[in-house]
Amino acid sequence: MSEIGQYIFNGLMLGMIYAMVAVGFTLFFGVLDVIKFSHGDVLMVGAFAGLTASIAMTAVGVTSPVLQLLGMVLFAVGLTGVLGAAIAKFLILPLHKAPPLNTLLATLMLGTVIREAVRLFYPDGSNPKRFPALLPTSSFELGSMNLRVDNLILLVAGLTAIAGVHFMITRTKLGLAIRAVAQDGETARLMGINFEAVVLFTFALGSGLAALAGVMNGLYYNEVNFGVGLLLGVIGFAAAILGGLGNMYGAIIGGFLFAALQVLGSVLLPALIPEIPSAYKDVFAFTAVIIFMAWKPTGLIAEKTSERV
Amino acid sequence: MFSRKTALAGSALLAGAALSLLSVPALAKDVVKIAFIAPLTGGVSNMGLGGRNSADLAVRLRNEDPKSKYTYELVSQDDECKPNVGVQVATKVAADKRIVAGVTHYCSAVAMATVGVYHRFNLPIIVWGAVLPDVTYGNTYNEVHRVNGTMINQNEVAAKFMTGLGYKKWAIIHDTTDYGKGHNKFFSDFLKKSGGTILGTFGVTADQQDFTSELTKIRELNPDVIYFGGLTPLAVRIRTQMEKLGIKAQLQGTSGIKSDAYISGAGKELAEGSLSFIEGAPWEKLPGGLFFTGKYAQQNYGEPAEAYGPFAFAAANLIMNAVEKVGPDRKKVMAVLNKTNDVNTIIGKVTFDDHRQNIVPLISKYVVENGAWVLWEESSYGKGKRKLAGL
Amino acid sequence: MSLTVAAVAMTLYVWMFLHAESQAAVAVLVVLAASAVFASRKLGATRVMAAAVAQRPGLARALSLAGALVLIAAFHDSHFVLLMLCAVLLYATACLGLTVQFGYSGVANFAGAAFFGIGSYATAIMAAHTQIPHVLVIVLSGLIAAVIGSVLITPVLRTRGHYAALVTIAFGILFKTFIEVNDVLGGPQGLQVPGMKLFGVSLNDGIEIPGVEISFYVPYVLLSLLVFGLVYALVSALERSWVGLSMDVVRTDETAASTFGLHIARWKVVAFTTGNFFAGIAGSLYGMISGFVAPNNFTFSDSLLMLSIVILGGLGNIAGLIPAALIVLVLPEKLQFIQEYRFLLFAAMVIVILLFRPQGLLPRKTRIFFREEAPK
Repeated sequence: MSEIGQYIFNGLMLGMIYAMVAVGFTLFFGVLDVIKFSHGDVLMVGAFAGLTASIAMTAVGVTSPVLQLLGMVLFAVGLTGVLGAAIAKFLILPLHKAPPLNTLLATLMLGTVIREAVRLFYPDGSNPKRFPALLPTSSFELGSMNLRVDNLILLVAGLTAIAGVHFMITRTKLGLAIRAVAQDGETARLMGINFEAVVLFTFALGSGLAALAGVMNGLYYNEVNFGVGLLLGVIGFAAAILGGLGNMYGAIIGGFLFAALQVLGSVLLPALIPEIPSAYKDVFAFTAVIIFMAWKPTGLIAEKTSERV
Repeated sequence: MFSRKTALAGSALLAGAALSLLSVPALAKDVVKIAFIAPLTGGVSNMGLGGRNSADLAVRLRNEDPKSKYTYELVSQDDECKPNVGVQVATKVAADKRIVAGVTHYCSAVAMATVGVYHRFNLPIIVWGAVLPDVTYGNTYNEVHRVNGTMINQNEVAAKFMTGLGYKKWAIIHDTTDYGKGHNKFFSDFLKKSGGTILGTFGVTADQQDFTSELTKIRELNPDVIYFGGLTPLAVRIRTQMEKLGIKAQLQGTSGIKSDAYISGAGKELAEGSLSFIEGAPWEKLPGGLFFTGKYAQQNYGEPAEAYGPFAFAAANLIMNAVEKVGPDRKKVMAVLNKTNDVNTIIGKVTFDDHRQNIVPLISKYVVENGAWVLWEESSYGKGKRKLAGL
Repeated sequence: MSLTVAAVAMTLYVWMFLHAESQAAVAVLVVLAASAVFASRKLGATRVMAAAVAQRPGLARALSLAGALVLIAAFHDSHFVLLMLCAVLLYATACLGLTVQFGYSGVANFAGAAFFGIGSYATAIMAAHTQIPHVLVIVLSGLIAAVIGSVLITPVLRTRGHYAALVTIAFGILFKTFIEVNDVLGGPQGLQVPGMKLFGVSLNDGIEIPGVEISFYVPYVLLSLLVFGLVYALVSALERSWVGLSMDVVRTDETAASTFGLHIARWKVVAFTTGNFFAGIAGSLYGMISGFVAPNNFTFSDSLLMLSIVILGGLGNIAGLIPAALIVLVLPEKLQFIQEYRFLLFAAMVIVILLFRPQGLLPRKTRIFFREEAPK
């Protein structure tokens, strides 16, 4: 039984990370109608930025875990925020008028550029790197499950981050501006909202969230490697679509849903076919996504679209 | 309009032709090219780079020798420890007529995939690091030789040793390449013969990130030892995630994890006590060990030679000896290599059996102690001062 | 006349390019090509050329074929060059399929490499375990790829734009993971593919003409050239016909197309299936040539590579596929120092193209309905 508990807990962790990535996708889509596929690799940059910050701080002599964590998060979020805004300004906005598949393709390629750049230019980039374990590693028993404090902290942190973003979008003036631009860019401009600034800020926000997810990923697995962005990007995208593009709640649901699919796969499949390798859970999850897309082409919470004929 | 364009194109073309013809290098008379293929990037690149430096050392020393008839050039290629890339670079190398022979492959998965290529192009090669028996025993291609031992001996010694220490129950994790599957097969057989029990076997993909499903099940099974048949990057992840799930079993690895990258990846504390078994002897005990270490240090390479460096060195020398004897002809070099019998190299005497495999009887046991791999007999564990997990 | 001159010049250039060894020579040749392209554009020579090709398509094709044969003869003993030519021809064939899907019908397929791989795997199994004649094996592999692709049709049809993209991306990843964990199909180790046997003669043995050393790749290159030529002819006939026209309308504006009575779903299905078929046969032949197939050949990055060939060559213009394939596949081999950076460079290149010249090297010409001027 505790096995199931462990699976569920793991699923929650993964779902959290996926949800954070999915929220980013959905934000970008809502604001500019674009799919920024390099999002997963931006996450990876965030993780590496955190790693670099940690190395730098250790070199300078700052070794307190709390300070390192703080520095890591700040640096990662800051760097990727700037990166996200730069991507928006130089790639996404110019391609705004082009067919959407061009933007998708361009951002896919950008993701490859980012991934290869880290692999080639970060010292020893092609090898997985150890991420410092900065969270307390004690654990306590809850029933027959072994819960670790660090995992709990990560879970709570992720929830807080998402709640924070949600709060910002729904309760603040800036959030109102973002929602206005998402709904109707032209009218928002007419109402005096600085379109470009809002777009850049949204991208920075989404990327910062991804960086946080990247740091969390690193802390959870104690490892970062340059390839982690690709799969997370695809899964985040799938999750955003599952929940319906443009809808933040949908993205969060989608993230946890995908993780649930994976957990379901790892629990169900061995029950049906003994000794099946656990990697089949990905096959299972993606097949489920494809079938789901055939059933509900625009996701759980359908996108309200209108097409100019 | 027309003729202007034609004239322009024509003259440009001529200029280009002249330039490219001029820059074709005149072939020096005695250069003989030897290929070296290994994973130079990716998770096990340290082993590949160590091997490359060692082969490079052999070539350099030979070129400094005034008695050698030829100048040797090492052409190194990266197989990224991926079978498809390996086949690509193997084809490239084998198709190049100026390359006489090759020192190839650390990753068994790649070595298995490429044997057909070398046979197709009649390129003699000597494997320096892959331990899967089928690389030599699974075919009758006279091109394929190997100087390092196979995993058969490794696993036999490991099984006897571990049951001798008192361990009884195992869980096996192995990667699904031929390398991991081979380890699983041989170790399981030998373990059963030595009286151990296998509680569960789990196959994982070679680039798997998350082992929660496997490790959660293993925690339920509660084995004394987790045997891992695979390479360093996965071992690092498994060890770290074992800790996260609170699994206290002993980790037993194969030659694939005996690298510094394992210790730096898992961290000193977690790596402490991990076991590994490897063919051959440590440098200090090899006949040519001190010589090799000394010369290697002189060259100031950026990376250490790692466990299989001496094998790469020996392989390169065997090839160069053959070329000195019969000239840069692939078929003749192959014939000479086939007949290798009792030849002295820095790793000891090399004899290729009827499947062109060198028999390396000695297996060394290593344990991680205080952040470094130490020979079992010389470690505090071996001397009885410290105990491994579960004992 | 200008056509012949151009053909000779290009053949000579490609010969030098493939022959060049030193980095300096290759760099010179690249610069030469770039400046020649630039100059000819300024001088208007490209337009003259395009008009000449349009006027005498038969001659243009015959000349290209002759050029290709001359190159093969020139490199008859270099294994590696011939292997590269095979790769260029077969990847271009697969990209012809992608062009039909994406360039004509607007169906984005991000799993091109997966269908290529299905072709190779099907061939590996059929050639190794059955006695089916190999020519039939190639056709069957293509059909298998098309059939497996049809599984995706429902989701692809029901979705639009990004959602459709997700479906093919998910499939590509799914395929690779499935093959990797599945031992029956060789797992991560891959499968050995037997060489091709044509009419009982094994192509791997090569041809022997006394006195002349001929690489055993020569028959394979000829076969690849044949396959490419056939598919090329098929696709260009398709484009010119009413089938191509229907596909173009479906791509441009679905609503308008349906008001004109075009059955959108049917054309998309036809395009998707045909494209996958071509990718499948290309993969099948490639598998036999390289002798080996493994899941790592068919990653997402490889699919992206195929798409970058399609875009670089000019979306929808199949004449641009060969130069684009040469650039994407052969250039990294020649410019060794960019080998490591090749994914980075090509991805960056595609971004630059999409930003500044989305039509690619050879933009697709507007469809001309009437050759003569309409009466005034």
